[in-house]
Amino acid sequence: MRLRVNGQEVEAQEGTLLLEITDPPHLCYHPHTETRGICRLCLVEVDGRLLPACTTQAQEGMEVRTDTQELQTLRRTLLEWLALTTDLGQAPSLLALLKAHHGQPQRWGKLPLNRREREPIRDNPFFLRDYAKCVNCRLCVDACGDGIMGVYALALEGRGLMAHPTTPLDRPLPETPCVFCGNCLQVCPTGALRPLSAEV
Amino acid sequence: MRTTCPYCGVGCQVEPEIQGGRILRVLAPDIPPNHGALCVKGRFGLDFPFSGKRLLYPMVREDRHQAFRRVSWDEALDFTANKLLAVLKRRGPEAIAVFPSAKTTNEEVYLTQKLARALLSTNHVDHCSRLCHSSSTVALSRSLGGASMTNPLEDIWKTDLFLVVGSNTTETHPVIGAMIKKRVRQGAGLIVVDPRYTGMAEAATLWLRVRPGTDLFLLNAMARYILEEGLWDQGYVEERTEGFAAWRASLEAYTLEEAEGITGVEKEKIALAARLYATTERAGAYWAMGVTQHTKGTATAQALVNLALLTGKVGKEGAGLNPLRGQNNVQGAGDMGGLPDVLPGYLKVAEEAGRKRFEALWGVGLNPEPGLRMTEVFQRIPEVEAIYLIGEDPVTSEPYQDHLKAKLEALPFLVVQDILENETTSFAHVVLPAASFLEKDGTFTNTDRRVQRIRKLLDPPGEARPDWWILQELGRRLAQALGRPWASYPGPEAIWEEVRRAIPEMMGGITYRRLEREGVRWPCPHEDHPGEAVLFRERFNTPTGKARFFPVHYTPPAETPSQDYPLTLSTGRVLFHWHGGTLSRNSQLQEAYPELKVEVNPKDAGRLGIQDGEIIQVVSRRGRIRARAWVTDRTPEGVVYAPFHFAEAPANRLTLDALDPFSRIPEYKVAAVRLEKLD
Repeated sequence: MRLRVNGQEVEAQEGTLLLEITDPPHLCYHPHTETRGICRLCLVEVDGRLLPACTTQAQEGMEVRTDTQELQTLRRTLLEWLALTTDLGQAPSLLALLKAHHGQPQRWGKLPLNRREREPIRDNPFFLRDYAKCVNCRLCVDACGDGIMGVYALALEGRGLMAHPTTPLDRPLPETPCVFCGNCLQVCPTGALRPLSAEV
Repeated sequence: MRTTCPYCGVGCQVEPEIQGGRILRVLAPDIPPNHGALCVKGRFGLDFPFSGKRLLYPMVREDRHQAFRRVSWDEALDFTANKLLAVLKRRGPEAIAVFPSAKTTNEEVYLTQKLARALLSTNHVDHCSRLCHSSSTVALSRSLGGASMTNPLEDIWKTDLFLVVGSNTTETHPVIGAMIKKRVRQGAGLIVVDPRYTGMAEAATLWLRVRPGTDLFLLNAMARYILEEGLWDQGYVEERTEGFAAWRASLEAYTLEEAEGITGVEKEKIALAARLYATTERAGAYWAMGVTQHTKGTATAQALVNLALLTGKVGKEGAGLNPLRGQNNVQGAGDMGGLPDVLPGYLKVAEEAGRKRFEALWGVGLNPEPGLRMTEVFQRIPEVEAIYLIGEDPVTSEPYQDHLKAKLEALPFLVVQDILENETTSFAHVVLPAASFLEKDGTFTNTDRRVQRIRKLLDPPGEARPDWWILQELGRRLAQALGRPWASYPGPEAIWEEVRRAIPEMMGGITYRRLEREGVRWPCPHEDHPGEAVLFRERFNTPTGKARFFPVHYTPPAETPSQDYPLTLSTGRVLFHWHGGTLSRNSQLQEAYPELKVEVNPKDAGRLGIQDGEIIQVVSRRGRIRARAWVTDRTPEGVVYAPFHFAEAPANRLTLDALDPFSRIPEYKVAAVRLEKLD
C-alpha cells in the first residue's frame, strides 16, 4: 500500500504501525509488550486527526504529518508535565527530548500532589522500585503480564497523579508470583526500576 | 558488548555492563533466541566470576592427604603430563578418562576430545549430558539418526498444541517457558504430563498428574488409543517409517484402563490428550529430565518418538520432537565429540569411515573401541587410574554420593580444571584454574542448534587461563613425549576453523564473521547457507532415510516405596539455582534462595506432624540430609521433591545409582525415602 508521510510517498506493508515508518518521539511503545498508546508522545496528525503512531496501522492513502507546529507544542507540554511530576534524573533520553523541545516545566507552577516524594521500595535482593521516577508508561506491567512473562506480578494502582505500577495489593515482591526475570527493568525507560548492583 | 548466557541451553544473548570489577546491570539485545527477555539467572546471576572462591593459581600435590602446593603453570602442566604419561605407559589408554564440559566452549570441547583421542588414545570421553539427556540421545539417534531438537525455538509461535512431558520449563528453561505460555495465551493448547504442579501445569489446558516414573505407560496407552480410533497418519507411517508392525503389536497391553491403574490419570483425560495430540497438525513435543532420568529413560523418550512418528509430527513446522537441553553448551559438547562412542559430527569411533577422516586430519591412528560412559568410569575406579575433569562437580551431581566419594578417594590421579572451588576440588591432585565465560572467546551451541559467540569482556583473575590455552599447553607436552603431532592454535577462531574443516557438512558455513551479527544453526554446509531450521523435512538421517519405531515396555522404578521408606523422592532444580550450585550459589542468586527446601504434600505432612518451615531429615537407604520442609500441594501425596543444588544438604546422598541399560543415566527421579522429625 502507499501513503504519504510529510508530503513524501511511502510504501508500507499491511499491518505496519505508523511508528515503524515515521519517527516520532515515544515512551510507552515497546515491540514485545502490548502497546496501548498511553504516553501520547508519539501523536501524529493523520488526515487532520491526532492519533498515536504506536497503535495506528498504516492504511492506503493516509496523509500523515509528524512534525507540525501543533504537534511540537503538544509534545512540549507533555514533556513538561512529565518532568514536573517525575524525577527524570535517570532518563537521559527524556531529558534530551525536553531540552530539544525547549521545555520549561516550572511555568506550570507547583503540583498539589507530587510523586517525586515517593520513597524507593527495596523488598528483594535484586532490584528496587523507585516510583518517584515512574512515568506510568506501563511497559513494566505489560512485560510482566501479557507482553512477555505471563506472570502478572505488577499492576497499575491508584488514580490520577498517584497512579503507579506496583504489585497487586502492594505486597512485597517476594510474596507475589514475581520470578525476578528483570524483564520489567529491561523495558523501564526512566530508571524507576533498576538493579541494586548499579547502586553505589 | 554482547555475549551468551552461561546457564541453560536456551542460549540467551546478554549484554553485561561491567565497571570497576563488578557487573552493573545486564540487558539483552533484541535478537534471537531471547529477543530481549531474560530469566533471573541471566539477569542477576552472572556475577560468579567475581566470587572469592575463584581458583587463581595452579596447585599440585602428590597425594590427597597433603596440602596443595602453589606452582607455576609450567610445573603444573609438566606434573600433569608426566602423571598421565606414566599411567598410559603402565596401564594403557583404558586407565585414563577425560571429561570435557558442557559449560566450556565448542572449541575447548573439541580440543579436549582431540587430546584424549589423538594423544592419550582413549575414548573414555564423556560429559554431564550423560546425566541429563543421554536417554533422549539414544532414542532419537536410533530412530531418526540425529539427537537434537528437530525444530527451532521460533516454531513455538507456529505451534498450536504443546505436549510437555517431565519438564519444569518455567524454572529450568524460563525464557522458553515464557514463550510457550505466551503462545498459549494466544490460543494454543498445552498438555502437561508431570507429577508436580509446576508453572507449566498451572498454565496447562490439560494437566496429567502421572505417578512418578509411569509416563512411559501413559505414552504407550496414548499411542494404542490413537491407533484404535484411527487417528494416526497412515500415509506418513507408510512413506517415512519402518518397524511399524512389530511396534504396533507391542502395544497390546497398554489399554486406557490399565493406564489409569498404573499412572493414576483418569482414562478420559488420557484419551483426550491422545486425541488432541493426534488431531492437531502443528503439535510439538517438548521434554526434559522428568522423562530421561529413569532406569527406563531411553524407553520413555522412545515412546515419545514413536508417538510423534505415528501421528506424523516430525519434519514439520510448529511440531517436532524437542528435548530441552540443560547446560549452555550441552548440544555443542555432543557435536564436538565429547562422548565415548562418537567423534566430532557424531561420526562413530567404531566405524572406519569416521576414524579415517580424523586420522587424516590429526595425523595419528585412533582407538576403534568406544569408551566408557561417565557413570561407568566412576564405577570402574581404581581400574581407571586417572581422570582429567573439566568444569564438572561429580560429588554433587552424581547419584549415591557416599559411594562416589569412596571411589574418588581410591582414585590414584585426579585433575580438576575449573573456575571455582567446588565439592570435588578437595579430591584433586592437580588444580588448574580456568577462565570464566566473561574472560575468553569462543562459541556455545544452544538447544536448537544455534552456534553463538561468547566474547572476552575481562581479563581472567590471578593466573587463571582459558581452558583452550591449558589444553593446548598440556597437549604440546604430551605430544612431545609421545612423538605425535599436535597443532598450535593462536586462539579459539583457529580451533573453530579446524572444526569447520573436520565436519564441513555440519559446520562448514559457520564462520566467526557470520556470528558477529547473530547465531547460525547447524547443519550449515556452506557460507551462503542460512542454517537449517526444521530437520528431517524430506528424509531422516538413517541409512534407509526412514525413521524407525522401537517397541518399548513399562517397568517399575528400580526402588519402590516400602514400609520403612514409604515415600518417593524426586530430585530436580529450582528457578534460582543451577545444577551443583557452583555458579548460582556464588552469585547474587544465593540471597534469594539460600537453603534447601523440600516439597512435602500437606497430607503426608499432616500424617507425620510436619509443619511448614520445620527442619526435618530426609532418609534413604544410602544416607540422610537435613532440609526445611515446604508443605505444598505442588508435589503429590506420597512424593517428596528435593532440588540438588545444595552441597551442605546434597540430595544425591539419597539417590541410587541404578542406571538405564542403554544410556547409563541414573534414576534421579525415583528413590524410596522417609521423613523424620528432628526431635
